Amino acid sequence: MYRKQVRRRRAVLALLIVGSFALLTLTYGQGSNGLQRGVTAVFAPVASVLDRALKPARDLINWVDETFDARGKNNKLEEELQVARKQAVGGKAALAENKELSALLKLDKSAAIPEGTEPVTGRVIALSPTVWFSDVTIDVGSGDGVKLSDPVVNGDGLIGRVTAVTGSTSKVMLLSDHSSKVSVRIVPAGVQGIVKASVGEPERLVLGFLNSDKNIHKGESVVTAGWHGEGIESRFPPNIPVGEVTKATLIEQEAQERSIVRPYADLRNLNTVQVLTGGNP
Amino acid sequence: MILTPKITARLVVVGLLGVLLQLTFFSRVELFHVSPDVLPALVVCFGLLGGSLTGAVSGFAIGFLLDCLLIQPIGGASLVLIAVGYAAGTFRERFEIHSRLVVPLMCAVFTLLAELGFGGVEAMFGIDTDVSVLVVRDMLIKSLFAFFLGWAIYIGMRRLVRPALVDEATVRRTRRPTVLGA
Repeated sequence: MYRKQVRRRRAVLALLIVGSFALLTLTYGQGSNGLQRGVTAVFAPVASVLDRALKPARDLINWVDETFDARGKNNKLEEELQVARKQAVGGKAALAENKELSALLKLDKSAAIPEGTEPVTGRVIALSPTVWFSDVTIDVGSGDGVKLSDPVVNGDGLIGRVTAVTGSTSKVMLLSDHSSKVSVRIVPAGVQGIVKASVGEPERLVLGFLNSDKNIHKGESVVTAGWHGEGIESRFPPNIPVGEVTKATLIEQEAQERSIVRPYADLRNLNTVQVLTGGNP
Repeated sequence: MILTPKITARLVVVGLLGVLLQLTFFSRVELFHVSPDVLPALVVCFGLLGGSLTGAVSGFAIGFLLDCLLIQPIGGASLVLIAVGYAAGTFRERFEIHSRLVVPLMCAVFTLLAELGFGGVEAMFGIDTDVSVLVVRDMLIKSLFAFFLGWAIYIGMRRLVRPALVDEATVRRTRRPTVLGA
């Protein structure tokens, strides 16, 4: 009797494992399938209601975390403030130049939304729980005009692109996902490169150069370049702000042809986002 | 655990609520820059209360729902959580839980293993970028969260499925004469 039970258990276990592998094989590489569309259609409204209902509790916990964080950062910020004060004089002179460059590169707020695209505002309703995925689910889908590969931004800059769509929800692969690659340009240096993630560090992106004849410097802006090629599926419109170069030592640039970029958008804390629809054919 | 339709319905509700709360609440709060992952701990509790079969089936179902709601390849999360549920259930079937620390410790250890498992599934399909050592820190902190949250989940679930627990029924039966005598 006991042996029969054990055999039954093992058979069910084997069935579940084989089933999982079969599902994984069948669904890998697909954007979304009928089953997922059905499940999300049922649960997305519930998730949306829960998301709104739990926002005060989330905010409270995040406030505690940010308070601890702020205490630690206080000393560092005071030191930075002193340096910034000294630089303020030089900054005034740079301001005029900056305005000129901003106008030239159209990096003002309105230019973050490229011509020919229609922004669709959505809310983040679900977030992947593991450290290995950087995906969020938002509450707008094909019914709102969202298509695959549409770029997604928030008030600070680019956050990712749409990788799967259902009628009422979309999956957004963030810049910090290990499979994300974005063709970018550094301004004003003009150096082109590809921004990839560093798994486990959403505040750190790795910029690999394509041409290394020019050097880049800390503080320079990184914007989307607008092209795509082999291995880069992104079709981001040009000039969407991506981030800022935070580390660009000559050794790293020359030996490894790479530097470090901090994304403008806080990829750990996303609430309202905009999908730029209509830009992709 | 004796699985009656009523108890099964309760377990289904717990599983659904667990996944929805994970996606809408736990994944979006941060302490020490890390979000808690309660799903491996939830599956461990299913396994500890219901045995290996219940653990494996609940792991599959929770992973399946998670993959569907996150619109990612179905089966990856299930594979990892099946292993977690089955292992936790097998532990319960072979050993008695004497210490109160066993459950939270198991939740912490299995959360760590589950995170490694998720990484393994991702690596199976290729990771074409740097992997920071901070991933290890994140996984350890997630395990720490699972230690405390797993304890709470286990107590809550135990209360919810109490009528179906064989050992609880035995305890109640042995206590009854004492109560009447008083």
